[in-house]
Amino acid sequence: MSLTVHPTALLSILDHYVRRTDVQHRVIGTLLGTRTPTSTPSPSIPTVVNVTHAFAVLHSETEEQVAVDGDYHRAMYEMFLKGRGESIVPSGTAGAGVGVGPQGKEGLSIVGWYATGSSEGSPAGLGTFSALIQNFYEQETTPFPAVHLALDTGTEEGVGAGVRAYISSPIGVYPKAENCVFVPIPCELKFHEFERSGLDLLLASSSTPSNTFLPTSPLPALHTALVGTSDALNRVLAHVQGILCGEIPPDPALGKYLWTVLGAAHDEEGGWATALQDTVMVSYLANLVRGQAEVAARLALAGGA
Amino acid sequence: MAAALAASLPAPASAPAPAAPTYEAIPPSMSTAIDIEAEIPLTCVQLDAMVVTKIVQHGREAPSASAHGLLLGLDLDGILEVSNSFPLPSQTSEEDDKSPKSIARYQASMLRSLKEVQGDDNVVGFYQATTLGAFFDRTLVDTQAIHQERLRHGGVVVVHDVSQTARGNASFRGFRLTSSFMDAYKKGNFSSSSLMARRLKFSSILEEIPVRVRTNALASAFLERLVAPGLGAYTTRQLAEGEMPGLGGSFSVLGLGQSGVSRSLELVSEAIDSYRTEDGNVAYLTRQITREKLRAETYVAKRKEENVQRVAQGLSPLPEEDVSRLFKVPGEPSRLESMLLLGQVDAYAKSMESLAGIALVNMYGARGGGVYL
Repeated sequence: MSLTVHPTALLSILDHYVRRTDVQHRVIGTLLGTRTPTSTPSPSIPTVVNVTHAFAVLHSETEEQVAVDGDYHRAMYEMFLKGRGESIVPSGTAGAGVGVGPQGKEGLSIVGWYATGSSEGSPAGLGTFSALIQNFYEQETTPFPAVHLALDTGTEEGVGAGVRAYISSPIGVYPKAENCVFVPIPCELKFHEFERSGLDLLLASSSTPSNTFLPTSPLPALHTALVGTSDALNRVLAHVQGILCGEIPPDPALGKYLWTVLGAAHDEEGGWATALQDTVMVSYLANLVRGQAEVAARLALAGGA
Repeated sequence: MAAALAASLPAPASAPAPAAPTYEAIPPSMSTAIDIEAEIPLTCVQLDAMVVTKIVQHGREAPSASAHGLLLGLDLDGILEVSNSFPLPSQTSEEDDKSPKSIARYQASMLRSLKEVQGDDNVVGFYQATTLGAFFDRTLVDTQAIHQERLRHGGVVVVHDVSQTARGNASFRGFRLTSSFMDAYKKGNFSSSSLMARRLKFSSILEEIPVRVRTNALASAFLERLVAPGLGAYTTRQLAEGEMPGLGGSFSVLGLGQSGVSRSLELVSEAIDSYRTEDGNVAYLTRQITREKLRAETYVAKRKEENVQRVAQGLSPLPEEDVSRLFKVPGEPSRLESMLLLGQVDAYAKSMESLAGIALVNMYGARGGGVYL
């Protein structure tokens, strides 16, 4: 079993952490996402949980007790699905034998919960309260196991920023809600290729002193990409030169890979010139259309009456 | 507003929990930023990192290009800080979900829930995902017009171009309606004389507000940590290998595919077609107006002539009836629709232009690399 996290979920958690009240040591919330395979868990195929969204849930912790606002959690979940044009399929309808929990059309469902910080005694931030919350979420995600995402914000002394993922397993002769073992599972960041440019924007903004950034027109993005390509080519070239001079031991796999990648560009006879002409034509047409539109607008102003 | 600001300022350490709320004096550095009547004009829209990823994600996941949602936040000293967003159900969902009441209920309860976890619950505008620059449409203008009347500072609309983002340049633009357009919209008068008086063109419907992106210190530290190669042993192995689908640079802008251009050509010609149709409608209505006017005038002239004859014959003249009751001259057609369509044509052409420009650069780049291999 492994877990992937979408940047939106991470940033939602961080935002929730920033907005916590003074009395809260940590914040918790619900993780939403999808599972593959979607059917009932089977030991043969490893389950991958994709966490794509997260929302905050009210909770309170004192020395003696912990409380999670279950109503709030349910209401938020319903609204969340509604906002995406999905509706909750009531559990216990068709396929009741399997007992699939409530699920949206796109398969978005509750997959687990998150918590920040490491306040609960042990350095990993996992204790009795976590076990109790885990127990609550296990009920929400049956028959699947609930995953727990522990996010270290990096604001505490000696603990770097990072993300850990766990599933739980009961412990003891008589399993009790407050006793469980959190088993670490692998966890990685995953997002769609389309979203990369959005993240580029965030990275660009976080590298400026004021943490702000103006999104640009396509040309600077093109420039960055070209410079990046050129850099990468130079690196490859240097590497190949190194091999030719006998300084670096050659790696057949890498060589094969480079061969396929660099050999991919074919130019059919005259294809390039035709495509270039087409592109210039389109560009001309676009200018023409814009000019006409502007003229039409001005004519409407001047001669409409 | 002042109270809210005062409350958000750090309380003095010595204050022993006063029974009645005491408001702190606002420090001089902030006094210029206190803006109860929303008098400081907006100069900039600032999107939080979370909002950026939320909008991008929603734009990608939504079935059609209809992804839209509300922006929440606050304005401070001319900068509209957008700190959160949530999607609104799309228009294409089931009948009962479409009713405005249900959406309003959803919106209200969402705001309430966000407030409970200390989120901002102040609506400052909405966002709209679009493809290839086609954001000019009636619903957008209508929604923004409602917002501009109700919201503090009039609210903004943030337009996110999905197709540009897919090509490697996340595009966010902020807009609001210009005051002259609002004026015409409120009066519901889009006749050509009204357009002329206000000098309204498609390019003066919306004014652009610069958008910038901000990541707060925590998020930015976290992101930096994610891109940093070779993390400590503390995080899980995958994160430590620096092998996550690397957060570095996008190269999708270098794609040589021409599908974007042909799609954009199609859209331009579609938009021109619908503009032609609308133009035909307006011309038809104008002709009808002229015809009715002409009929009314001939009737009046005829009656006058008749009266002159009757007076000459010593008869009492016929009463000059109210012509407007006999002939219904239709009102002048609204030019709004055709103006919006023209704006759409322009937007499509503009995006096509930039597409073609990038394609040119790409082609020369590909030739430089491909031919001499």
